[in-house]
Amino acid sequence: MMENMLTWLVFMPLIGVVLILMIPKENVNVIRSLAAIISGVALILSLIIWGGFERGVSGLQYATTTEWFNIGFLQFNYEIGIDGLSMPLLVLTTIVTTLSIFASFSIVKRVKEFYVWTLVLLTGMLGVFVALDMFLFFLFFELTLIPMFFLIGIWGGKMKEYASFKFLVYTGLGSAIMFMTFIAMFFKSYEAMNMQETTFSMIRMAEIFADPANPEVLTGTVKGAIFLALFVAFAIKLPVFPFHTWLPNAHVEAPTAASMILAGVLLKMGGYGLIRLGFGILPDQAARFATLIAILGVINIIYGALLALVQTDLKSLVAYSSISHMGIVLLGIASFTTSGMQGAIFQLVSHGFISALLFFMVGAIYERTKTRTISELGGLSKSVPVLAGFMLAAAMASVGLPGLSGFVSELLAFIGIFGASESIIPAATTIGVIAAIGIILTAAYLLWAMQRTTFGPMKEKFIGLPDARPMEYVPMIGLLALSIIIGVYPHILSDVINTTVIDIVSKIGG
Amino acid sequence: MTAFDANWSLMTPEIVLAALALLVFTIDFMTGIHGKKPFIGKLSVMSLLVTAVLVFLTNSTSGQIADVFVVDGFAMIFKLIILVGVAMVILISMNYLDRNEEIYQGEYYSILLFSALGAMIMVSSADLITLFIGLEILSISSYCLVGFKKYHRHSTEAAIKYVILGGTASAFILYGMSFLYGLTGSTSLRVIGEAMPQLFADYSVMMTISFIFMLVGFGFKISIVPFHMWAPDVYEGAPTPITAFLSVVSKIAGFGIVLRVMVFGFLPVYEEWIFIIAVLAAVTMIVGNAIALTQKNTKRLMAYSGIAQAGYLLVPIAALPFMGNFSLSMILFYSVAYLMMTLGAFAVITLVTEDAGTSDLSSFAGLFQRSPYLAVAMTVFLVSLAGLPLTAGFIGKAQIFFGAVSADLLWLAIIMIVMSVVSFFYYFSFIKQMFMTEPKANDKELQVPVSLSAVVTVALAVTIILGIMPNFLLDIFTTLNWFALF
Repeated sequence: MMENMLTWLVFMPLIGVVLILMIPKENVNVIRSLAAIISGVALILSLIIWGGFERGVSGLQYATTTEWFNIGFLQFNYEIGIDGLSMPLLVLTTIVTTLSIFASFSIVKRVKEFYVWTLVLLTGMLGVFVALDMFLFFLFFELTLIPMFFLIGIWGGKMKEYASFKFLVYTGLGSAIMFMTFIAMFFKSYEAMNMQETTFSMIRMAEIFADPANPEVLTGTVKGAIFLALFVAFAIKLPVFPFHTWLPNAHVEAPTAASMILAGVLLKMGGYGLIRLGFGILPDQAARFATLIAILGVINIIYGALLALVQTDLKSLVAYSSISHMGIVLLGIASFTTSGMQGAIFQLVSHGFISALLFFMVGAIYERTKTRTISELGGLSKSVPVLAGFMLAAAMASVGLPGLSGFVSELLAFIGIFGASESIIPAATTIGVIAAIGIILTAAYLLWAMQRTTFGPMKEKFIGLPDARPMEYVPMIGLLALSIIIGVYPHILSDVINTTVIDIVSKIGG
Repeated sequence: MTAFDANWSLMTPEIVLAALALLVFTIDFMTGIHGKKPFIGKLSVMSLLVTAVLVFLTNSTSGQIADVFVVDGFAMIFKLIILVGVAMVILISMNYLDRNEEIYQGEYYSILLFSALGAMIMVSSADLITLFIGLEILSISSYCLVGFKKYHRHSTEAAIKYVILGGTASAFILYGMSFLYGLTGSTSLRVIGEAMPQLFADYSVMMTISFIFMLVGFGFKISIVPFHMWAPDVYEGAPTPITAFLSVVSKIAGFGIVLRVMVFGFLPVYEEWIFIIAVLAAVTMIVGNAIALTQKNTKRLMAYSGIAQAGYLLVPIAALPFMGNFSLSMILFYSVAYLMMTLGAFAVITLVTEDAGTSDLSSFAGLFQRSPYLAVAMTVFLVSLAGLPLTAGFIGKAQIFFGAVSADLLWLAIIMIVMSVVSFFYYFSFIKQMFMTEPKANDKELQVPVSLSAVVTVALAVTIILGIMPNFLLDIFTTLNWFALF
């Protein structure tokens, strides 16, 4: 059982899909509860895995490999396993998805389909985080594409079709680049081993790239090109400037639950892929391009923040803040220090919870006020005090208030960048200082937005709005509590990730 | 060996099919040509399946008849594809014909059987004359089938267009072949193949002309750019099941003979033509996908999609000299995938457009509410055509991509993958109509006839199974004795 635990976790949502398909679509309450139960079971399974995960042990856990199919001499394997990098993201996925299912109980349109797609999406996301075979990774990565296309396109806002197609094409292009790069890596590794060995395994690939039998094949140019291609593929997903333009559309048009998953988990697949494949297989190239990555990170932070500052729509403000916050991930990993890498992973997890909460709050307020325009909102703390309070808390977490998870990740990432070795990033201090300015902007746009929406005189049309429903407390309290727990007791997370972080960083001798 | 002591039993499936086709024809005119005749449709499907079983059984005895007709693994797989394809086309047609009473059903079915016969002869031929006879049986049957809605202007126009252009293409092929015969004194592909290196050294201009002329003619039949202009008009005017027939059976059989001619005739001098094929593949993929983006009519859209797919299938031909049997395996795997996903899609298109009375893309509006099963199945077919994972189309494309990279055709592989992303746009615009748009005037539940849902189910099952377990098919290919003549 233990060795098949991950497989059970990944494919369990599909069992749920089959069960839901058998229920007539009129029984919406049964469907909703079933979806919640299935995701809840996935959550419990992931927590059991979390509990059984051995701290302080480097290498893979829960790993299994099975032969899947072969085309000629190409052997494709079902190879899965987790380490300290994927473990927290796995739990993040199940938590955010479960809570987003609770958050979507207010959806009344085509309920059955909604949960079918959400659960398919869950399988795809979990699969991405456990896959260790590049081909399998690609399959799961693509599996997230279609459900999200439907979630945006069917349940989205006014411009849903435009947003869903833009999402489709951008991520489709990213996947195409990824696929081509994987094939290139495959052929180069095949050549580098003197045509003696074929592999799609990420683990084996990392070994081959580190120590090829025929080093002349893997020249600096080849490896550099592969790294940059991988970077672009994942940069679209993360997203990194200038590949970010799909994100505001997708986030703004998506229904609340889909926005939560999109910001909470899907973006993290980009960061995860970058660390797992880019840094895991080509650490030397990652170090070579560290300055570029750090600069892009700074651009993301500042550009995202500046754009967020001028948004008139609360949801697009949150969307741009996601871009800004993903810059911190780039900054952290580029530093090639233990704390920087920790900060990046902390940021992936912490932003997953906080952005999901923010999107949930925006959705809950929109549902009542029927507007997301910041200037039309105001005085929410008087009309809906509980919702306004949670939104304020989420904003504080996002700003990086000490005691909340955002603070820990930003602090670690900045310690990382200021401590970065001169040989990796020449002007690390300057970059760090500029990035810090971006953090001030974060405080500016979030606090300003909160001031305009929650405070001020209560608007007449908002009098008598219903405050939070019992069901809404589940995602609100859940997400905020997680942010606080990580904020005051970061050890709960660092305990799991540390060994892996040290492994990754030590590859470059840092 | 003369023709009389040859092993004629090799031809059993063709002879049986010809007899059955004539039987169907006879029964038809003895029962009067008008009226609904579902039993003839069933009989035709049975005939095709019986023939398919015979093809399967005679495979163990691969061999040839006097250098004219050859039975080998290559021919067997193509014949099975053709027979299954035509059987599925007939199943799709049965309901369609009942709705269009102007079509004489018996003739329709027997002509489809003859076209299958022509296609089978084509892929088994080892001689230019046999090849041409097979090709013409198929082509002339197709001309008739396109014009079957004879009181419809579009159908008649399409048929006339197809006859004239198709005739021209046949003339090109014949003219190209005449050079080969003139220089070798033989029509046997084996003899021509053996003489080829010497011929090219001595008469390179004439041989190039010959190759180009044949390429133009064959290119027309498999609708590759720039010989594709007929396809959208003919596809649009033809009865929808015949559109399916043209885009699947006719095209795959066309690829069959292209391969025969390339492998037997021109492979020794591959340096001369490989680049032309690669360029044509690139142009076909780019033009097909680009124009498909602008289409609003389902049948025209599928025509351009079919052109683009033909481009993908040309890639392994360009890789053939380097990849050998692996290339053939790629082509056949993708052909099977293409057969299933395209016929599945056409089954849905036939029912939906017939029900709506228009073949506009908007006829798919809200299909999910009207028939969830068809909408989901159609989605799988489209996703497979677009080449997304867990479908046969993805495995097929991934193989072709691998092959192209291995054969040092990286640029072609990149064009292929970029164009696949472009194709997301138009395949997903179908999906958008089905899931994201409300049903138009007609929102009542769509009644799915049994024969049609059988086709959809089979196509769906194969598309998914080959996407997850491709070894079912690939293992058969690896054990196959591809060619009996070498």
